[in-house]
Amino acid sequence: MAPKIAEKKRKVEAPDPESDDELAGRLDGVLSQSEDDSDYIFSDDDQDQDDQSESGSEGTDGDDDEEILSDDIPSDVDGEEAMGKLLIHDAEEELEIDEPGVDPKPKNVVEEETNYRVEKDANGGERYVYNEIEPGYDSDDSDAQGPENTIGDIPLTFYDSYPHIGYDINGKKIMRPAAGDALQNLLDSIEVPKGWTGLTDINTGNPLNLTEEELELVRRVQMGMVPDELHDPYPDTVEYFTSVEEKMPLSAAPEPKRRFLPSKIEAKQVMKLVRAIREGRILPYKPPEEREREEEEKDEVHFDLWQNEEAQDANPMHIPAPKLPPPGYDMSYNPPEEYLPTKEEREAWEALDPDEREKEYLPQKYGALRKVPAWGELVKERFERCMDLYLAPRIRKNRLNIDPNSLLPKLPSPSELKPFPTVCQTVFRGHEGRVRSIAVDPSGTAVATGGDDGTIRVWELLTGRQVWSVKLSSDEPVNAVRWRPNKDSFILAAATGEDIFLMVPSHASVTPTLDQASRDTLAAGFGYATNGQQQPTAVGKEPAAKWARPGTKLEDEGVLIRITVRSTVKVINWHRRGDHFATVSPSGQRSSVAIHTLSKHLTQIPFRKLSGLAQTAAFHPSRPLFFVATQRTIRCYDLQKLELMKVVQPGAKWISSFDIHPAGDNLIVGSYDKRLLWHDLDLSNRPYKTMRFHSEAIRTVKFHRGGLPLFADASDDGTLQIFHGRVPNDQLENPTIVPVKMLKGHKVVAKLGVLDIDWHPREPWCVSAGADGTARLWM
Amino acid sequence: MAKIKRKGQTGAAKNYITRTQAVKKLQLSLPDFRKLCIWKGIYPREPRNKKKVSKSSTASTTFYYTKDIQYLLHEPLLQKFRDQKVLEKKISKALGRGDVSDAARHERNAARPEKTGKPRYTLNHVIRERYPTFVDALRDLDDCLSMLFLFANLPSTSAVPAKMIARCERLCLEFEHYLIVSHGLRKSFLSIKGIYYQATIQGEDILWLVPYKFNQRILGDIDFRIMGTFVEFYMTLLSFVNYRLYTSIGLKYPPKFDQLKDDMGGELGAFAIEGVNIATDDATKAVTNGDVAHGVDPKVQAEVDKVVRQLKSDPSNVDQEMEDVTADVDGEEKPNDAIDKFEPVAPGGDILPQPSSSSNDPAELFSQFTFFLSRETPRQPLEFILRAFGCKRIGWDSVLGEGSFTTDESDPSITHQIVDRPVIQAATKEDGDGEDNQTSQKLNQRYPGRVYVQPQWVWDCVNDDELKSPELYAPGASLPPHLSPFVRSTNGQYDPTLPLEAQETEAEALDADLADDKEAEDEEEDENDMDIGSANDDSEEEDEDDVDVEEDEEEGSEDEDATLQRQRELEAEIAGKAVPSKKVDAKTKSKLDAKKALEKKAKEEAEDLERAKGMLSKKKRKLFEQMQYTNNKKSAEDVKLRSKRRKLEKEKSKA
Repeated sequence: MAPKIAEKKRKVEAPDPESDDELAGRLDGVLSQSEDDSDYIFSDDDQDQDDQSESGSEGTDGDDDEEILSDDIPSDVDGEEAMGKLLIHDAEEELEIDEPGVDPKPKNVVEEETNYRVEKDANGGERYVYNEIEPGYDSDDSDAQGPENTIGDIPLTFYDSYPHIGYDINGKKIMRPAAGDALQNLLDSIEVPKGWTGLTDINTGNPLNLTEEELELVRRVQMGMVPDELHDPYPDTVEYFTSVEEKMPLSAAPEPKRRFLPSKIEAKQVMKLVRAIREGRILPYKPPEEREREEEEKDEVHFDLWQNEEAQDANPMHIPAPKLPPPGYDMSYNPPEEYLPTKEEREAWEALDPDEREKEYLPQKYGALRKVPAWGELVKERFERCMDLYLAPRIRKNRLNIDPNSLLPKLPSPSELKPFPTVCQTVFRGHEGRVRSIAVDPSGTAVATGGDDGTIRVWELLTGRQVWSVKLSSDEPVNAVRWRPNKDSFILAAATGEDIFLMVPSHASVTPTLDQASRDTLAAGFGYATNGQQQPTAVGKEPAAKWARPGTKLEDEGVLIRITVRSTVKVINWHRRGDHFATVSPSGQRSSVAIHTLSKHLTQIPFRKLSGLAQTAAFHPSRPLFFVATQRTIRCYDLQKLELMKVVQPGAKWISSFDIHPAGDNLIVGSYDKRLLWHDLDLSNRPYKTMRFHSEAIRTVKFHRGGLPLFADASDDGTLQIFHGRVPNDQLENPTIVPVKMLKGHKVVAKLGVLDIDWHPREPWCVSAGADGTARLWM
Repeated sequence: MAKIKRKGQTGAAKNYITRTQAVKKLQLSLPDFRKLCIWKGIYPREPRNKKKVSKSSTASTTFYYTKDIQYLLHEPLLQKFRDQKVLEKKISKALGRGDVSDAARHERNAARPEKTGKPRYTLNHVIRERYPTFVDALRDLDDCLSMLFLFANLPSTSAVPAKMIARCERLCLEFEHYLIVSHGLRKSFLSIKGIYYQATIQGEDILWLVPYKFNQRILGDIDFRIMGTFVEFYMTLLSFVNYRLYTSIGLKYPPKFDQLKDDMGGELGAFAIEGVNIATDDATKAVTNGDVAHGVDPKVQAEVDKVVRQLKSDPSNVDQEMEDVTADVDGEEKPNDAIDKFEPVAPGGDILPQPSSSSNDPAELFSQFTFFLSRETPRQPLEFILRAFGCKRIGWDSVLGEGSFTTDESDPSITHQIVDRPVIQAATKEDGDGEDNQTSQKLNQRYPGRVYVQPQWVWDCVNDDELKSPELYAPGASLPPHLSPFVRSTNGQYDPTLPLEAQETEAEALDADLADDKEAEDEEEDENDMDIGSANDDSEEEDEDDVDVEEDEEEGSEDEDATLQRQRELEAEIAGKAVPSKKVDAKTKSKLDAKKALEKKAKEEAEDLERAKGMLSKKKRKLFEQMQYTNNKKSAEDVKLRSKRRKLEKEKSKA
């Protein structure tokens, strides 16, 4: 319908005789509209009124017409009838145009002007309403064919409840087409009309019928063919050049000479091939298998690889792979019976994880060779060997293929080591509290002990009878007792608190002359002291020590001299000649070490400053050397040159005591950290041997002074250990140290065991002072 | 001021290189690197201090010497690997394009050792580098031979191409031929894993293992690519070694190989050994064999050639030749090339030790005999070992393959027959069953004038260098134990060849005697009253087993003795008999005393040891204890063996 309407409009518009000049564009649209209206009128009403109404209604009813145009769509007008009328009308109009004889130009102008009309919009403003564009014959616009339904992407079902189905481009409603009556539908459903698709045209809501051509087009597209029916995909080829030789050549020129000459290039190429064949680079074809076989045979080049061999020194870093060990008896297929595993062994082997087994096989006996099966693990074993060869890091390990016994030191047998103390012979009981110190007199008949009760007791060595005692102090313990090492006197030095006492005990072995000699020795210093020799040192200073008589009560007992120093004395050690003795008071700081001269009643403090706390000090047995032990080190001083000779570092944390071998070249050190250390003074300042046989701290160490190669140590674990320590005369030989005996007997009281020991001057006897209040003689 | 040294610039950090670094440096893939390492004999090292070596915080496991890797850098094989990699890339690219023909063209160019058994490269230079002298190569031949013999017996799979197996087999057989001709084989041992052989070539002992001829089970995760790399190297090595060995005794290498015979199961017989012209080959003559008996002089050469001819000759004329040979041996007055014995003429000189010349020449051991192998015996090892020890004529059943001297069992020239089948007892009970009897007779048929032995006889003869008496090895007889010839007896170790008395310690002997006595006593007592002493038996036996009897245990047993005595007394009282006094004869008493003395001595020794140990430094003591531990373990094993043997002997004597 739509195209027809448009067509009609165009036809109507074209002639507009009256509106040519005087009328502005304003009425133009009205005119055209009115013409449209007239159409309707014609169609609606009588045919006769046609001319009159057209002319008459021109100026009168513009607005009304418009309304009619917008509202009434001539849907029910018979198309053909209208067409016929229009054609007539056209013809009439053309006639009209011809009649006034108006020139064509203004006509064109009018046409341009009537492109739009101005209307009033809702606000009263001007609104340009453009005419429908009529695509003429040469128009490119093929889309605008009628009133498009411009509802966009909205489904048509939204309009189900409305009489219209959408809007055209000018916003006018497009009415729903008549659905037809039920009978028509029924007929349609029975007899399928031509081109029926069953679809609905979205734009119009009409059933979408397709023409024959259209259906054909769809079919072709669906089949993937060229839509154009006339297109021929397989046209006959046109042979522009034929393969058939023409009878008559195009050119009559004779064949050129070069066609008859052999090609040089080709000859070259042939020669190349010939040469290749001659040289064997190109071979006649052979099936691949045959060629392979031949190649194989040819490839095996045999020659002497080691024709001109020369031995090279092995790379020192190269480690050849170790060979696998040869098979033993138990790997035989028929081993001796004793190699066969028992049932338990077999079970144990089977229970183990294969990786943990010591041997990867169990010995097995097969009666005959035919019964031996294949060894299932062989491939795996070989593979593992391969992996070892290529992946295992190789290290050279020195296997010590020596007799372990050769490591052991050659020890003399215990019988050769005899004599040494083995049993407890005598127990000296009498002290209350600990016995702090013990000493055997130089003649070897008496033992002196000093204890916590502040007494000093002298005992008969063998019988254990107490022969003499003196109470030096009621509150301070006796820390040290030491005999003067000369046989021409019988003098005992003892330390209690800050006092050092020198005394001459009474004893059965002491003859009156000896007693007198001893007393004289002690008294000699008083005269010297009164001579004022020691005064210079005391100028402006407190003297290092006060030498005095202890008082009549003690003097009656035999205690003759009292030396008072600044702090508590713990250790006394005599010089071998008996004229000097050294005392150590660890808390005394600057004056911790003092050397006392008996003959002069003189006390000297040799060290201005000591690094570390002094523990003990001793004189060298033969040379003028003086040893001082601090916590960590032992320093050796030359008394003549007055200089430091040597520093011995035993490596112990806290040295408790040390003793110098009578020959003078060796030193033993006991430490609170349970170690006994033997130093060879010539060898090194580090220990030669470290012995750790005690479970507790070592209190004292002592060499035998009477020529026997013995030494002993006393420990807080209540034992004494006796060692055989022979120092050879040959300087090159090392000393032999053999532990020989562990003497047990002292009880441990308050974590203290044996506090002091001493050796008999000649015999292999040893005395010890214990924290349990006893002293013992071991022989 | 000295330059400040940075960490990781010198020392261990520079000397070692991890595997990843090495692979990166060489620009190889890991499998190629592995190959290179295997061929060049480069192995990881264990640095003293791993922490100092690894620059990274994570612990690396494998370190190589940097110098080693640098040495690999200018290896010509590297280029081959790279070429191969390029080719692989080309093929994969062509396949990616879908250009199959191009891929096939590249594929043809590619060397596929897993298919052809032959790579494009050669390992000659590598072998020369690794073994600068021939003796070096011989020294490393153990693994090579074991590996190749194993591969020669493997089934061919996709990982192990048939060509490789065939080549291994060929090389192995060629090597065996050399040993046969040169009589270099010394010892052999039948173990549960296979057969061990030991040969001496130029003074080097070579020991290898040949599996029994069964299909090998391949278990677990075995990477045949790694094995294949080794085999590739070993094949090249053995071919060169074989060449050298063959030429050194004047033989041509490679020997002629008869494919047809090999297909028929000819094995050793498929090769035809031939000598080279001696006059022309001066170079090989100059390289003398280290073996004293086989110095290459013309005479020996001639003999070798004769042997070779015999090997080649067909069975019919062997006898005659054999006779010739023996005649030669008898008639010829050979200049003795053995070492002369030096006797001191005048007194006062030092006596120098001299090697004693062996009485038996390995080439002569079986030279007089003709063997026949029954069809149940393993032919290959027997043939090899018999030939290597001088046997010229070996026949076997035709089932066993081609190349036998005779397949006729009834051949009169046969002197020894090797049999490994049980003696089938004739069904004596069912006399009526004549057929059964016949078959058994047929199976047990013996030809007169022939020695029937089990295979072990051959091996024992070879190992002891003398002909063993065949009675011990008769078919059906229970064989004497087969002992490994490779064990060198060390002092104190258990040796099954010696009598028990010669090796047991005093204490053990005493213990054993005492146990015997007690058992005897117990038996007597058992006769008297059955219910006594049965409980005691076990404990004593335990004591006997337990070697280092501790003191308290001993005391315990003494206590038990006491309780036993009391029980006896009680029972006697109940029975109303006199108390059976324990019959302790003087002998037992003396033995007991001796035992006590021994124990005391042992105790004292232990004390001494403790004292001496106390004097050792901690380090030395640890070492000492470690050594003692291993020694004790070894000696405990020995003691266990001895006690087992004692028990066995006792059982035997009882039975």
